Amino acid sequence: MKKLSVAGISIFLMVMAVLPHFLDSRWQAVAITFVIFSVVALSQDIILGKAGMFNMGQAMFFGMGAYATAILNSHYNWPLLATIPVAILVPVCVGILLAAPIVHLRGDYLLVVTIGFNIVFIQVLVNNLGGVTGGPNGIFGLEYLSIFGHELRSQVAVYYLAFAVLLLTLAIMLNLEKSKVGRALHYLREDPLAAESIGINTKLYKIFAFALGAGIAGLAGMVYATQYSAVSPEGFEFIQSVLFFSIVLVGGSSIPGVLLGVFVMFVLPEIFREFSTWRFFVFGFAMILTMILRPRGIWPATFGKIPKYMIKEKSHGA
Amino acid sequence: MDTFLQQLANGLTIGSMFALVALGYTMVYGVMKLINFAHGDMVAASAFVGLMVYTQILGQTASLVGVVAIFFITAAIMACIGVTLERVAYRPLRTAPRLSAVVSALGASLVIQNGIMLIWGPRMRIFPELVPQVYWHVGGVIISMMQVIILVLSLILMVALYLFIEKTRMGAAIRASSLDQDAARLMGINVDSVISLIFIIGSSLGAVGGLFIALYYRGITFDMGWQYGLYAFIAAIIGGIGNIPGAMLGGMLLGLFSAFISGYVSSTWADAFTFMLLIGILIVRPTGLLGERVAEKV
Repeated sequence: MKKLSVAGISIFLMVMAVLPHFLDSRWQAVAITFVIFSVVALSQDIILGKAGMFNMGQAMFFGMGAYATAILNSHYNWPLLATIPVAILVPVCVGILLAAPIVHLRGDYLLVVTIGFNIVFIQVLVNNLGGVTGGPNGIFGLEYLSIFGHELRSQVAVYYLAFAVLLLTLAIMLNLEKSKVGRALHYLREDPLAAESIGINTKLYKIFAFALGAGIAGLAGMVYATQYSAVSPEGFEFIQSVLFFSIVLVGGSSIPGVLLGVFVMFVLPEIFREFSTWRFFVFGFAMILTMILRPRGIWPATFGKIPKYMIKEKSHGA
Repeated sequence: MDTFLQQLANGLTIGSMFALVALGYTMVYGVMKLINFAHGDMVAASAFVGLMVYTQILGQTASLVGVVAIFFITAAIMACIGVTLERVAYRPLRTAPRLSAVVSALGASLVIQNGIMLIWGPRMRIFPELVPQVYWHVGGVIISMMQVIILVLSLILMVALYLFIEKTRMGAAIRASSLDQDAARLMGINVDSVISLIFIIGSSLGAVGGLFIALYYRGITFDMGWQYGLYAFIAAIIGGIGNIPGAMLGGMLLGLFSAFISGYVSSTWADAFTFMLLIGILIVRPTGLLGERVAEKV
């Protein structure tokens, strides 16, 4: 099983590494979108799947990264790559500030508060707070990527930037599972009270998970702004957060499951373009059906070496 | 002072619509511990169903009997859809992990919202003017007949619901099921029928709320469910989710709050202020205004 997953991941990465050379420019753009949204969905998985916090505002962190890049590039002429630290740090700081007072709220309340953050964020963008967000139209006309003054105009460059971010995210996710932090988060999700009683600082770890997820989403946002050389509020609406939330749970909060979810949600509609008006109608049914047939997701995550028969289905009541 | 009274009247009108919709959320949450995300879209759907009843069945004539018929037929149709929704999307997930039911509810929401779009198209429809535009000037305040009707009917419905829940055997079964489903089952209560009952009541009240929204604002769109649903859900949480008087109180407070914000501060920031109010209330009272302060079971 272990060998199989290692083989699977390496085949996937090898295919992804050479993919843009076999695609025309329209499908290259789709591939970049797939990679970016995979990163956002994985960052959502850290908060929702790994730490078990019902966060329905991930598009906000994604948008913060994108807007940080766009604002610095268009108003202050920073090169795109130089905006990366800011695109990560802004969502991280905001994530910490917002998460600190709310992580103790129980699941459903947390969900509504994070929806609220997302809606307030969109309202801030649309109302052009501070005169830098460009209002409902957003910001457009960003520069190309450039390294040492050398402009990289091709889409392939953006693809590899996105791919590098995906690799980094996967490395973080895989290490997280094996680390002390990952074990703490896992324990926290399964039983917060027991975790607290054996000395895990639950609040600290929850805030950490929020900050990590926010930072990765922000980085993905930077790549998103680079790809379209524009940002506008629609890309980060609350419906996007709903999609990321659903992708993680329908996928089963495992890496292959989440990637599969992103593929189904964002790549399949590109293949079946003529059915685009039916898209969400069909997805809605698919979500209901998946949950009825496989309540833990299509590809459920397993953790550590606990044998299957020892994992009890929990009803998570109240 | 005039602005104050005017916004008070507007706030009570909006608030009673929020409260009607919030009741559907809070009753389902009380018994099933599930945020029924599809409820907001059911409310939007009821506006379109009402429009369909008006054009197809009544042949676009508006008499008093006709308007009453629209309310009853729409409520009956929405109740059927609500019960079907529960059977199909929620009942199979009764014992599954919490989040599975949440995803199923989100899926149901997408299905209903896009179902409306596929049937009636993505453009805004204008709801007919069924209530005559009569305005009264009361001491510098303009009150429309529509506002009075909404307020009075909502209050009657809410009092009726309160009496039903508190005074009847079926109401007692609902209260028992929301306290402890397993114990209620042991006492011989058929929890499945209780859940069907709350979907009937919740969806019908939501249908009335949806028709009020359509009659008051006139423009109806397929995606308006999220907007009103979210506000109603916030109302339910402010009042203490699962608590029926709480939903009524929360709805009224939220309606007044948003009316005063639009009247005195700015309407472009109304959403932001509403969510700040919600976050503030949750930080001070994590279970809402009327919610019980229970120690969290884990």
